[in-house]
Amino acid sequence: MSLAWFLQNLLNGLSIGSVYAVFALGYTLVFSILGIINFAHGAVFTLGAYLTYVLAVGQFGLNGLLAGVALPFKLPFVPALLLGAALSGLAGMAVERLAFRPLRRRGADALLALVSSLGVALILVNLIQYLFGAEIYSFPPDVFGSLPPAMIFKVGGKMVAVRTVQVILFGVSLVMLLALVWFIHYTVKGKALRATAENPDTAALLGIGVDTFILGTFFISGVLGGLSGTLIGVSFGLAGPYFGVAYGLKALAVIVLGGLGSIPGAVVGGLVIGLAEAFLPPDMSSYKEAVAYVLLFAVLLVRPQGLLGAHVEQKV
Amino acid sequence: MTRVLPLLALLLALAVNALAEPVASPIPIGVAVATTSNVALFGEEQVNGAKIAEAVLNAKGGVNGTPFKILYQDTAGDEAGAINAFQSLITAKVVGIVGPTLTQQAFAADPIADRAKVPVIGPSNTAKGIAQIGPYVGRVSAPMTDVAPNSLKYVLSVDPKIKKVAVMFAQNDAFCTSETGIFQEAIKNLGLETVTIQKFQTTDTDFTTQVTAVLGAGADMVVISGLAADGGNLVKQLRQLGYQGPIVGGNGFNSTNMLPVCGPLCEGILVAQAYSAQADNAVNKLFVEKYQEAYKKMPPQFAAQAYAAVQVVVEALAKVEKDSGKKITAMELAEVRELLNKNLQNATFLTPMGEIALDADGEVHQKTFFVSQIKMNPDGKTGAYVIVNK
Amino acid sequence: MEEFVARYGFLFVAVVQQALLGLSLYFPLMAGQLSLASIGFYALGGYVAAVMGTHPALAPLRDALGFMIYPVQWLAALALSVALGVALGYPALRLRGIYLALATIAFVQVVGVAALNMPVTGGAVGIFGIPQPFESRLAYIWFFGPLLLLTLALIHRLERSGAGRLFFSIREDELAARAMGVDVTFRKVQAFVTGCALAGVTGAMSAPFLNTWNVRQGTFDAAVACLAYVLIGGSRSKWGALLGAALLVSLPEILRPLKDSRMILNGVVLVLACVYMPRGIAGLLSGRDK
Repeated sequence: MSLAWFLQNLLNGLSIGSVYAVFALGYTLVFSILGIINFAHGAVFTLGAYLTYVLAVGQFGLNGLLAGVALPFKLPFVPALLLGAALSGLAGMAVERLAFRPLRRRGADALLALVSSLGVALILVNLIQYLFGAEIYSFPPDVFGSLPPAMIFKVGGKMVAVRTVQVILFGVSLVMLLALVWFIHYTVKGKALRATAENPDTAALLGIGVDTFILGTFFISGVLGGLSGTLIGVSFGLAGPYFGVAYGLKALAVIVLGGLGSIPGAVVGGLVIGLAEAFLPPDMSSYKEAVAYVLLFAVLLVRPQGLLGAHVEQKV
Repeated sequence: MTRVLPLLALLLALAVNALAEPVASPIPIGVAVATTSNVALFGEEQVNGAKIAEAVLNAKGGVNGTPFKILYQDTAGDEAGAINAFQSLITAKVVGIVGPTLTQQAFAADPIADRAKVPVIGPSNTAKGIAQIGPYVGRVSAPMTDVAPNSLKYVLSVDPKIKKVAVMFAQNDAFCTSETGIFQEAIKNLGLETVTIQKFQTTDTDFTTQVTAVLGAGADMVVISGLAADGGNLVKQLRQLGYQGPIVGGNGFNSTNMLPVCGPLCEGILVAQAYSAQADNAVNKLFVEKYQEAYKKMPPQFAAQAYAAVQVVVEALAKVEKDSGKKITAMELAEVRELLNKNLQNATFLTPMGEIALDADGEVHQKTFFVSQIKMNPDGKTGAYVIVNK
Repeated sequence: MEEFVARYGFLFVAVVQQALLGLSLYFPLMAGQLSLASIGFYALGGYVAAVMGTHPALAPLRDALGFMIYPVQWLAALALSVALGVALGYPALRLRGIYLALATIAFVQVVGVAALNMPVTGGAVGIFGIPQPFESRLAYIWFFGPLLLLTLALIHRLERSGAGRLFFSIREDELAARAMGVDVTFRKVQAFVTGCALAGVTGAMSAPFLNTWNVRQGTFDAAVACLAYVLIGGSRSKWGALLGAALLVSLPEILRPLKDSRMILNGVVLVLACVYMPRGIAGLLSGRDK
């Protein structure tokens, strides 16, 4: 196989892998604090894309309850993206208040939060469908301004092609990742967050308001979800209220592969799965959807705590 | 509980034949399609089409002057949901059912209606074996056996040098997997070489793996069986990554939903169509006019086929009245259902898809199929399917 | 009355069928293991029955057996499920908690992809025209009903037997159980395989019940739904799965008059149930809930 072939698949894998990683970070952050998976994260991802769309285009579709409704304003793409992400963050907080806090207060089985977050996901997705309809929403083709749709260059006489969207996905994901790492390691709030994750009781003794920090974590997680949802939505269109589900499931594989609750783990897991899918031989495309899960299973057999997960004696 | 059950089963067995029930007025016709779940994109369009049929046909006098009413039930996206929706409509005393949306749901729910002797017309079930489920099952959605090869022949007539073909299809979709079989057969029969077969899922958005493989195989024609969202993204990524040859899409591409997804890059795609909004017949023209009035866009195929399914039922009911000399509302429900089913067989109808005939099995035979080429408007979001095989 | 039976006969049997799937999750949970693998075995069992019921090569067998083909299908599904369950259980049960849950979801996904790619399963269209033992859907209670009673009786006996107490000891404290000399791995696999076998047989009974079988029967959504039955019903009682399935399977049908907003309310009920019944319906009924 040629160098061009290798480079092409490397670029493809890094690009989609970085999206998996950012989406997975939202799961991993919540897991690191509460030790539970937030099944509503995929719905927040979807919601973020829809919110940004409406803010940027100022118009609803033709089928939902809000058919034909137009907003009195239209935002340029970047402010719409940021506002959409912030609103997704608020949605993340709502998920916490609705699905997680009441259960924590009552000392319920931690597993029950899986079901209640699933309930919230059901509400969100069906609410989106009720209001927006099930039709496909597509961002106008000029959201990235006048950038060319793709860059094509030659390596060793062979063509390597990269879509601009792939570069943007990779770049934005990288920036989001660095911002998150900086926040967690170099700010007071971030340190408090880590302390809460480490041990909520001790953190409470140290005067850290645990509930507030959990709420904050859900906000950040929602922002990450909303941002990555918008990125995917801009690149590929919003194929109905369920378009986040496939990503949500894959992101679950990512965090388990990388090690639950580990931020570097989510990144490594995302890239590994993205690359493995890209390097799948062409005549095996029918097995692409199985790659992530086979890989996950194989890794867990060797390292039951995931690639970068800490080994903890854990009880159910 | 266990002692009550045999009793219940017995009662049920008796219930099927013993009751003489009248038909309500307005005449109830059931529509069971998916308006929730990830199949709702198609179900919404089907409901829109059925609503137009209800308005247009009732304005024309319904069934010889008796209006009909459509009862809608959501099947959601699964098999159990379809069975529940069918049961709900059957007990609501509908004379016939239009639905369900997916072929897989039809295989689960149609036998229920068949055993209850309630006629079913499938508006969008295209796989082999639907009409063979039972005597009470028919459909208006034709399998694409003829039109798929036609679209390939058209491309060859424009560019006879084409030799290497890449085939791509959504392997988790029942329609796409059967359609690609027809395409692959036609490619072989035309003496072309299939250089690669790439599979994807209708839920996929990133196709770089598959597109890289197609480019690597050096294909000079790509044939795709996919649906609107995945198909649009696939076309976009093929074009952006440098594929310049002709693209032939299956019937899943016959949806204006696809146009905003690939935008200006949709230009020139050839699409095999079971329905074209441009089709030149009076029924279609009226349908297109009313649809545009209500929904501000051209009607999609799912809406047209749902319209046709309702229309077929209403026209068959009118024939039941003519043959028996009695009003439907004066007849017994079981009798109406039986006669309706008879009149749905060995009959021809002029629908928005042109002339269609249902044979003794309830299998549909459609007279005209279309090969169209997408022409995008300057706004890059809307466009038209222009018929090329007149 | 007849109409009520005709309308809700399928739903009633579907509740029992889904309760069986919920119970297939309850077996590993008795030993403290959260496994969602059952749905993969459910899919597998359905395929076994669908292939045996429709494959042309097996026509002589069907003719020879008559109605007895159905029990033979159950046995075939059972045998396959046990064999595969043991093969999967030993490596998978080294994983704990949520890791096991997600690894078993991965298994379900892989089964789905494999089924899409195998010619014998009919790809995306699946297998249809499956022969019917009964005309009415309600009559299928003669399949699922006895299986449910048998399963409940088995659990009842387990709870009072040595094996059951060993399961519970692992659930309460695995380290302590190991220290006391319990063969923890063996017991976990035993509980896991029992669940897999139950799911496999339920699948084999479900293929004729649904008239058709395809990849969409064994999905992530279905797996999570089964988990919801157990948790909403009460994860510490054998009645939990039954109560949970009764509530969650019939809810969308009860809400049918609400049309397209019914699924929103379905989600609301799910959340409220979690918040106000943290020990599940069974916990609420037994009065231990505070």
